Amino acid sequence: MDFKLTEEQELIKKNMREFCEKYVDPIAAEIDENSRHPAEVFQKLAEGDWMGIPIPAQYGGSGADYLTHICAVEELARSCASTGFTVSIHVGIASMLILLFGNEEQKKTFLVPLAKGEKLGAFVLTEPGAGTDVMAATTTAVLDGDHYVINGTKTFTSNGPTGDTYLVFAWTDKAAGRKGMSAFIVPRGTPGMTAGNHFAKMGLRSSQTSEMLFKDCRVPKANLLGKEGNGLAMAMTGFDHGRTGIAAQAVGIIQAALEESVRYAKERVQFGQPIARHQAIAWMIADMATDLNAARFLTYHAAWLKDQGQPFSKEASMAKLFASEKAMHHTIKAVQIQGGYGYCKGAKVERLMRDAKITEIYEGTSEAQRMVISGNVLR
Amino acid sequence: MAVLWIFSETTASTKELLGLGRELISAVGGSITVLMGPDGEGREEWAAYGADEIILLPLLADGLAMEAHIPVIAAAAAEEKPDIILLPATARGREMAPRLAQRLDTGLCSNCVAVRWSGGDIEMDRVVYGGAAIQTVKFLTRPVMATVAPKTFSPPVPEEGRSARLRELPPLAAGTVPGVRIVEKREKRRLARDLTQAKVVVAAGRGLEKKEDLALVEEFASLVGGEVGCTRPLSEELHWLPTELCIGLSGVSVKPDLYIGVGVSGQVQHMTGVRGAKVIAAVNRDENAPIFAQADLGIVGDLYEALPKLITALKK
Amino acid sequence: MPHIVVCFKWVIDETYLRRAPGGGLDFSSVDYKLSDYDRNAIEEAVRIRTALGGTVTGITVGPPEAAKGVKDALSRGMDAGVFIADPAFVDLDPSQTVSLIAQAVRNHVGPFDLIICGEGSGDLYAQQVGPRLAEALGIDCVAFATQISLEGGTLTAQRRLEGVIEVVTAPLPALVTVLPEINTPRIPGVKDTLMAGKKPVRTLAKGDLGATGGPRLQTLAVRAAAMERACEKFGVEEAEVIRFVDALKKRGVLA
Repeated sequence: MDFKLTEEQELIKKNMREFCEKYVDPIAAEIDENSRHPAEVFQKLAEGDWMGIPIPAQYGGSGADYLTHICAVEELARSCASTGFTVSIHVGIASMLILLFGNEEQKKTFLVPLAKGEKLGAFVLTEPGAGTDVMAATTTAVLDGDHYVINGTKTFTSNGPTGDTYLVFAWTDKAAGRKGMSAFIVPRGTPGMTAGNHFAKMGLRSSQTSEMLFKDCRVPKANLLGKEGNGLAMAMTGFDHGRTGIAAQAVGIIQAALEESVRYAKERVQFGQPIARHQAIAWMIADMATDLNAARFLTYHAAWLKDQGQPFSKEASMAKLFASEKAMHHTIKAVQIQGGYGYCKGAKVERLMRDAKITEIYEGTSEAQRMVISGNVLR
Repeated sequence: MAVLWIFSETTASTKELLGLGRELISAVGGSITVLMGPDGEGREEWAAYGADEIILLPLLADGLAMEAHIPVIAAAAAEEKPDIILLPATARGREMAPRLAQRLDTGLCSNCVAVRWSGGDIEMDRVVYGGAAIQTVKFLTRPVMATVAPKTFSPPVPEEGRSARLRELPPLAAGTVPGVRIVEKREKRRLARDLTQAKVVVAAGRGLEKKEDLALVEEFASLVGGEVGCTRPLSEELHWLPTELCIGLSGVSVKPDLYIGVGVSGQVQHMTGVRGAKVIAAVNRDENAPIFAQADLGIVGDLYEALPKLITALKK
Repeated sequence: MPHIVVCFKWVIDETYLRRAPGGGLDFSSVDYKLSDYDRNAIEEAVRIRTALGGTVTGITVGPPEAAKGVKDALSRGMDAGVFIADPAFVDLDPSQTVSLIAQAVRNHVGPFDLIICGEGSGDLYAQQVGPRLAEALGIDCVAFATQISLEGGTLTAQRRLEGVIEVVTAPLPALVTVLPEINTPRIPGVKDTLMAGKKPVRTLAKGDLGATGGPRLQTLAVRAAAMERACEKFGVEEAEVIRFVDALKKRGVLA
């Protein structure tokens, strides 16, 4: 057993914290309020090689391990859950899937600019009628000469309005069931693909989410990712990576909730003493700190398994399930500790609570995680 | 009996060093020598303030900085073996002292804030860990050397009719002339306000949300007859105020009658620069902010609520 | 193309220091960091190398745990490191540190053009190592520079003294100490940190260097800085604010 990060991981985590204090903390409240994508921060993230940490150097990344990427997402989310998430889905799903399943040509064309942070990736799977029930999707891709022609409507696409490189999932053979879906790399500007309605969200507001509309969108055959019919399996692999990232995002949120709670509890005086000395508050903080440790270990363990080349599907789901539910639970407590002040705009805990909720929903709801986990345990 | 040397750079620092020197010498007996530039300007005054001897340093060639005196002073000290050498903790003093100490192969207490005899030994205190702690040192070699923090010791009361012997040191020997040459020298833009002379200092800290809010602090400061200074982040990171107004370890030290920290958390690096204030007051919304443990009087409350109320109260 | 040597120190991060009961210091939860002042020194060396070419060698003295500091420093753009390591090198006095660095520079670093030091260390802030090292090596010294440049074997530096700015020149090799305002240190990127571990580090043990001699200063005590203050607290309600103003007047510090 070794519960220590390596020197490199520790230094990189520290540097990310310094980065956040300098560039993210000062704008986090503003980009939430205005639902603004902070392009200037992503520019800086690209300059510091933060947008492709686990991607090998030959494809424009840093060539570090997945755990290092997870540490960076955690620190980013501690300052701004939206920014942490954008990096997570860009790296963990969009870039990782091209790395794992793309051919050499696709990696050169699409992965290199993603890993360098010159382009932003998006994952286009969910449809209005197909959330957890992926099989209910209706978007199709029909081969026509050298092109696939995609038709359908996707929704809740993160980085939809801001993305450059989209991984789009569509049926190439609906009759083949789980082996009938395929994935395509579709660059921004491809005729027939447009971002539809933008969603105004409760939380995660600086992350841009929209519908994606496909109308006779012609994608070259060369942009088929992996083999035809392999889409669903690839999406599941993407989720293993992405969910570990969401777990890290939730860990960052709990960390921030804990720090905010400790600060406030020492500062706020009621009944003649700081509320930290009231047992009711002290115990909330004890639970928060304990769950934070547990969530972090689950998350790091899932990333570590990935780095060891071992299966980590179940562990990624466990980390995501536990960390996200604890993030929700403890951000509610963090608002409770701050009372009326915590309920008002401008209090960081108010934003944390809104941001925490989505971690229980996207990249597989808590219920979907329990399906994965129980399926593994009861096998 | 002890022989104590003082290197004189500025009038103010020399007076303070003489104050400390007289205190030390009065306990054990001995003499005080002031080393000063060749013009000897103001040397009569040093006699009244307690100098028994004045040593005039040789004239430096054009372009040489005061640091060029190091070989001459080091040679004289090696020869005459004074027991104690004190320099002011000015920029120049802080460069010259360690270089002299290295030549004399002796220990140096940098930026000393307290001195006392203990048995036959001198003990000194200095500030470490950004002001969080005090280190007490004693010397295992001679001479004892120290740079002394400005405004730490008071000038002695002058005694009329005292006189001091006068002598000169020979000029730099060939081969000891340093290579450093001054090619340009300019007075720093003088700020209208000089924090170190102010009776009341109001420091603005990170509790301020935006630059425009400095106006509120300014208004409050003018009502208490004070000058506005700031913590390091405000001058060095946010650039809301010039570097000269940064108070603390790497900025200026102040010694006013009253210091009021507004939205100042009380980080040691800052507080070490206000240690000498007669009264320390604070306004901060964090009751556990370290400044309250270091303040005489503190308002626990948001500065945006407290300052307008203070302004109203002061206007009455 | 210049060879620049930078001195740096891995120090206790003072934000984690707590006062222990009884007035001592509680070091139990301390973390370490690269001294803030030294980040400026490294940044300046790397800035010059980027402009003029050449190499930057970093040098530090410390216990073996400071290896992480060497990596941190290398991630900021230095080309190579010299690590003078021994478990005993924890509380050296400045003259001892200088003796070790001077020997390492003379015998293990090779010819150099410029040595850059931070204005002081983040922990003890004695501000001695730079100027003492210049004397030990017999080279010219310029302290507290806010701007430096190298040209044709000459260092030009602007230094900030009380009330005056001096621009000075010195023949190389020379030593300069720099103030924090000279630059804004970078935050190392991911690749910088990963590459740091691959850069050459020469580790020198006690036996590789000659004796340092004993300490010249002996530390008798280190205790938490106590400010003996009244610590009287007031609320923010109007009556409390008036009581606060009256208290200031009573102390005679407010007219």
